[in-house]
Amino acid sequence: MKLKLTASQLSLWVGQKMNPKVPLYNTAYSYEISGTINQQIFEKAFQLLIDTTDALRIRFYEEDGIPYQEAREKLDHNIEFIDFSSDPELDVISEWLLDRSLKTLDLSHQVFDAVLIKKSENTYIWFMNMHHLITDGVSRKIIFDRMNSHYETLLGHNAGLQPVTSAPYLDYVKSELNAASSKTDDKDSYWSSKLHELEKTHSFYGIHPKPDATEASRVFLQLGRERSEKLQLVLQRPEVKGWTAQLALFNVMSSLLFIYMYRVSGQKKLAIGAPLHNRISRKFHHTSGYFLEIFPMLTEIDDADSFKTVLQRVKLENSNNLKHALQDTVTPEISNSFNVVLNYIHTGFSNFNGFKTTSEWIYTGHIDSNHQMRCHVMVPESNGEFKIMLDLNHGTFDHELQQKVPGHLLSLFDAMLTDIEMGISEPSLVSHSEQKSLINPDFRIVEPTSNALTYFEKNALNRPNAVAIQGEKQTLTYAELNKKANQLAHYLHEKGIREYQKVALHFYRNPEYIIAVIAVLKLGATFIPIPSDQPSERITFIIDNSDAAMVLTESGLAQHLNLGSNPLCDITKEHSEISKQPFTALHTDLKMNDLAYILYTSGSTGKPKGVCISHKALTNYLVWAKAAYNTNEKSIFPLFSSIGFDLTITSTLLPLISGGRIITYKENTFGADMSLMQVFEDNMVNTIKLTPSHLALVQEKKISDSYIHTMIIGGEDLKVALADAMQSAFPNPLRIFNEYGPTEATVGCIVSEFDPKKHRERSVPIGMSIANMQAYVLDSHKNIVPQGVVGELYLSGIGLAEGYVDSPELTNDKFVPNPFIEGSKMYSSGDLCRINTNGEFEYLGRKDDQVKLRGHRIELSDIESNLIHHPEIDRCAVVLIEDKKPIPEEDVVNCIECGLPSNYPNTDFNEHGVCHLCTSFENYKFKAERYFKNDDELVQVLTSKRHQNPNYDCISLLSGGKDSTYVLARLVNMGLRVLAFTMDNGYISDQAKANIDTIVKKLGVDHVYGQTPHMNEIFVDSLHRHHNVCNGCFKTIYTLSTQIALEKEIPFIVTGLSRGQFFETRLTEELFWDESLDTKKIDQTIIEARKLYHKENDAVKRLLDVSMFDDDKVFEKVEFVDFYRFSDVSLEEMLIYLKDNVGWVRPTDTGRSTNCLINQVGIYVHKKEMGYSNYSFPYSWDVRLGHKTRDESLEEINEVINETEVKRIMKEIGYDKSDEDWLNTDKLVAYYTGNPKLSLKDIREFTEQRLPSYMVPTIFKHLNEIPLTKNGKVDKKALRNLTSAQLELDTPYTAPRNEIEEILEHIWQEVLQLKKVGVYDNFIALGGHSLAAIRITARINDEIELNLPLNKIFELPTIAEYSGYIENTLMALLEE
Amino acid sequence: MNEKIITYIKDELSIESIDSIHIDEDLLGNGIVDSLGMIKLVVFLEKEFQVTISPEDMTVENFNSVRSISTYLSTPRT
Repeated sequence: MKLKLTASQLSLWVGQKMNPKVPLYNTAYSYEISGTINQQIFEKAFQLLIDTTDALRIRFYEEDGIPYQEAREKLDHNIEFIDFSSDPELDVISEWLLDRSLKTLDLSHQVFDAVLIKKSENTYIWFMNMHHLITDGVSRKIIFDRMNSHYETLLGHNAGLQPVTSAPYLDYVKSELNAASSKTDDKDSYWSSKLHELEKTHSFYGIHPKPDATEASRVFLQLGRERSEKLQLVLQRPEVKGWTAQLALFNVMSSLLFIYMYRVSGQKKLAIGAPLHNRISRKFHHTSGYFLEIFPMLTEIDDADSFKTVLQRVKLENSNNLKHALQDTVTPEISNSFNVVLNYIHTGFSNFNGFKTTSEWIYTGHIDSNHQMRCHVMVPESNGEFKIMLDLNHGTFDHELQQKVPGHLLSLFDAMLTDIEMGISEPSLVSHSEQKSLINPDFRIVEPTSNALTYFEKNALNRPNAVAIQGEKQTLTYAELNKKANQLAHYLHEKGIREYQKVALHFYRNPEYIIAVIAVLKLGATFIPIPSDQPSERITFIIDNSDAAMVLTESGLAQHLNLGSNPLCDITKEHSEISKQPFTALHTDLKMNDLAYILYTSGSTGKPKGVCISHKALTNYLVWAKAAYNTNEKSIFPLFSSIGFDLTITSTLLPLISGGRIITYKENTFGADMSLMQVFEDNMVNTIKLTPSHLALVQEKKISDSYIHTMIIGGEDLKVALADAMQSAFPNPLRIFNEYGPTEATVGCIVSEFDPKKHRERSVPIGMSIANMQAYVLDSHKNIVPQGVVGELYLSGIGLAEGYVDSPELTNDKFVPNPFIEGSKMYSSGDLCRINTNGEFEYLGRKDDQVKLRGHRIELSDIESNLIHHPEIDRCAVVLIEDKKPIPEEDVVNCIECGLPSNYPNTDFNEHGVCHLCTSFENYKFKAERYFKNDDELVQVLTSKRHQNPNYDCISLLSGGKDSTYVLARLVNMGLRVLAFTMDNGYISDQAKANIDTIVKKLGVDHVYGQTPHMNEIFVDSLHRHHNVCNGCFKTIYTLSTQIALEKEIPFIVTGLSRGQFFETRLTEELFWDESLDTKKIDQTIIEARKLYHKENDAVKRLLDVSMFDDDKVFEKVEFVDFYRFSDVSLEEMLIYLKDNVGWVRPTDTGRSTNCLINQVGIYVHKKEMGYSNYSFPYSWDVRLGHKTRDESLEEINEVINETEVKRIMKEIGYDKSDEDWLNTDKLVAYYTGNPKLSLKDIREFTEQRLPSYMVPTIFKHLNEIPLTKNGKVDKKALRNLTSAQLELDTPYTAPRNEIEEILEHIWQEVLQLKKVGVYDNFIALGGHSLAAIRITARINDEIELNLPLNKIFELPTIAEYSGYIENTLMALLEE
Repeated sequence: MNEKIITYIKDELSIESIDSIHIDEDLLGNGIVDSLGMIKLVVFLEKEFQVTISPEDMTVENFNSVRSISTYLSTPRT
């Protein structure tokens, strides 16, 4: 009798099939028997064992790909005998045993391998290897006992004892197969609800498991006597104790594993698999076979958990999970969700024939590739010692890591055994020796001997005539710069400035600023850079807060300052005084611990905080950078970024200490700073310091002749894709340094040089710490985390700031004692990092809500604290909204059938690379075919109203392209009287026009042109509204041609829309949901949609005369007929027809396949904003319907776009979006509650007075209330999920309030492709149009089983109103 | 109720076959049912008596004998 495999067996079968050569599921044991064995009797006993155990007689085979098993009636087998007694050395035998265990079993023949080995006269070994498919832990014991019983019986020792009988294993298989078919497989089961709570597969130590790896190493954890005794005590605790001691141990071990997994993965939602014996029915208690089932155990860990709280929770969750696993089918997603397995093995000594026998499980070195870790707990018989074995898959655990894992687990074990109340994040995982590998224990600071200024002065002395600064108006040599700085220093000294005093420098980026910096340093004073765009309120704060002795500034900036009594020096005004000062150096004694500068950064309290940087910190960075970046007298840097920005210190001082040159780029006095563009335009520098956001702007600029060879990137996460793009775009070999460093650790303290071969993850690692600096990755209890694990980055060393101005508390909070180097401090950066396998630090984001916007570090709470001071704002929340970036072109794939690109919204490709549209179309293709008709029907329709008009049957829309030309030619050919209509949108190519003239002449039809002076405005509106030009153009054509038809009383207008375009513009999937397809109903729906279409409030409605659409009768008077609904023609046939009958030629003067010159502007903008061409979707339908081939479609879609021409036309029509608008779409959005009538101008002005321009939110949005998370915190995620269109609405966001609103929100989200919809958001303002109306109405009707009309959504354009309407309709129905 | 529980344990759960179970017999302590069997019993009780047994209630006190099980099941819960 052949049987299928149980679900558990099947998963083993599949695993084995995928690794046919690997002894994955060999379970091999050796039993060493201390006594003499009678070989013949043993042989007989073994045959008896086979005879009484059906599992051993099973063989497996496949038929048509389905595996089956059957047990043979009889299997004769002589157990192999090997005599090792002449060579009884231990390792020879164990080597042989291991070797033999690795032998893969031929399952179609025999599922076991058994050998009797004679080790010596009175020691024998029984080797028994069985495939897991027919055995498990309990079975192993059953087999051993049964073999023993047979042996003893044959020896006559068991006279009179009845052998234990047991049910055959295949009976169990049968019952399982039956049970499986009756188990509930409910979509809404416990398990599918659990699925939502799971995260992706766990990855430990930051390593993504290698797929298909089966090799694994076994490591042992000896708990020892003391721990085992303590563990026994824990098992007695009420929060652990369960029905049995076994269950208690299981709960403790699973809790511990969960905690370990959390600590080394950072993941909170966790799953492990627990293989349980599953011999619930007594009938099979003595049956040998594979009964095990792996049950999923799930939990969610919280950082605030203690061992006790986890134990308590896991105990309850385990019971619940087991309960549900026993009754519901565990979904495959859940079964595949764990890669850690917790297994139980009962150990104990048995006797064989009364002889003492020890058993050993021979480890084959392979585990299931789905499992990264298997933890086997060896349970002692009585109060013995616990042992743990870990099988560690090499897919995650390399040799080095394998050595560390037991230590990490034991640390947690010990912590739990010592203090069950301890927080689970408290104990350190790493051992002392491991710590040494993560922190250099020999770290010693080597203090710099001379300060940065002396490097500059040496350059001034040695190369006085070399150019130091090149500004807009002046160029200064080193000698001149030095002299000017000396003069200014003398002047300031005269004004009373001394060492230790602070001087605020409020300047534009120009040579004067640099002179001032050097002058202040020469005085031994501290400079505070204040950029030109700072609002005066913030400047006043900085000056007061820092206790600046003077503000040094220049004309043009001086007048905004409102300093009260603070001394001010306007160097422009006082120039003549300054220039009278001596050139000679001032003799001040600079101390390394003195402050060089104070830099104000965004602070979380709403006030900026001043970071104090000493000379030693500054010098350490500069001297290190000079060597690392190899800057020298040939280096030329631009000074183009804000002077208030810590990264600008590099461009300000590094060139001067290196003997190189600075080119200053002054910022605009108003408007955006375009200096970076100028830097590339001028092409005068070879080294540059900038942020990744800067770089992204550069990407498309003309850089093919750039001289830049060294780039230092800082301020933000650097993506590998961007670094790659830079290296290939720049003409010279380009060194890219990724520099990390908060202001508090002086410009840069961790750095890596981008290596395209090594750095292949998403982001370039930040690298390793610079000279005299150290970095640690610590957990919330300041323990060093194991390599690979994420923690907070702490910085230590000479480069640390001295603290914050006038904030000892904040300073103590952020600069904490360094536990690794006595007497020193470390700075808590708030940045999340890990150390990768190369030992490089990787930056992974922020711990708090500090954000980076175009390189600027911004505390969102800083903005919030300022906004809240507005008298009419109650609460507020600020978020950074990062608009979704288009998927890079190289990552886009096209559906292998229709060519639809994978970045088309909401696409889903199956494993064969076929898109969801193709797959779902298969299901309604036959229905769709019923929509189409033939030529005869067309003639019938178009001649049906012939009596109405003596001249024309119809208007034919002629663009001059192939499709519309074909339509016209065929209509004429059918004998119809046609008026050709061409819309001159101003961009029809000359050749196309000539084509049109030839065609109408040749075909002998009347022809009119339509035009409007508003075309450009319509194009711009269409670009804003639909990201293309065609929508606006089409609507103009429909409007103007309808006008003519009405005037001339022509009843039909024939369009040349392709079948693909039908599916794009009218035939939505929803129309085919109805079982019985009614094409009349579709036609009606389309007419309804057209009525709505002409009511949409766009440029066409605003600018053209559309009064005729006010009366619905127009849709009866003039009907639109789609030619290609009646005619089925392939591109190839069409071209042949055109060539033979019309003499149509493809225009060559557009450079493309189209005849319209503006068409590519639409494609360009669509690609920029949506990531794909606006033709991708309709063309995919043309392919799907067999009208184009995939290659033809892709060829047209991928035609080259002439960017210069596009830009020219954009300018011509007045479309003002630029590259920067498309690149830098990240923006700050402030939400507030309070007075809803508050004017935007008012809030903006209020904010601008208090915050620098880069911190002023782009959008301010009023809310009735700020959404909160379950924990009562502001739900920033919800706030980040609103799109730009939604933010521009003047309605506040309100979440759905009842079930109907929820259903509606869900439908709106799907159709309008939004993440959130407020119930008061307006359908049209969200981009809703007639097509979306069709889709939404169809979906609502389907969901609520109603038949609501299409136009309702325009009458009731919010979810709130519509839901009220549905409620009333339902109530009315009920009353009926 | 007691009868139904006893029958189910005897027919389906008990590790060794037994003739009778006294309503006060220690099911866990005497090794009649192991912990997985207990959960199976919970599933049975939930279906048979239309109740939901929360994991908090799955204690030795509530389940150590047939009598305590039926007492537990008969006690109204909030």
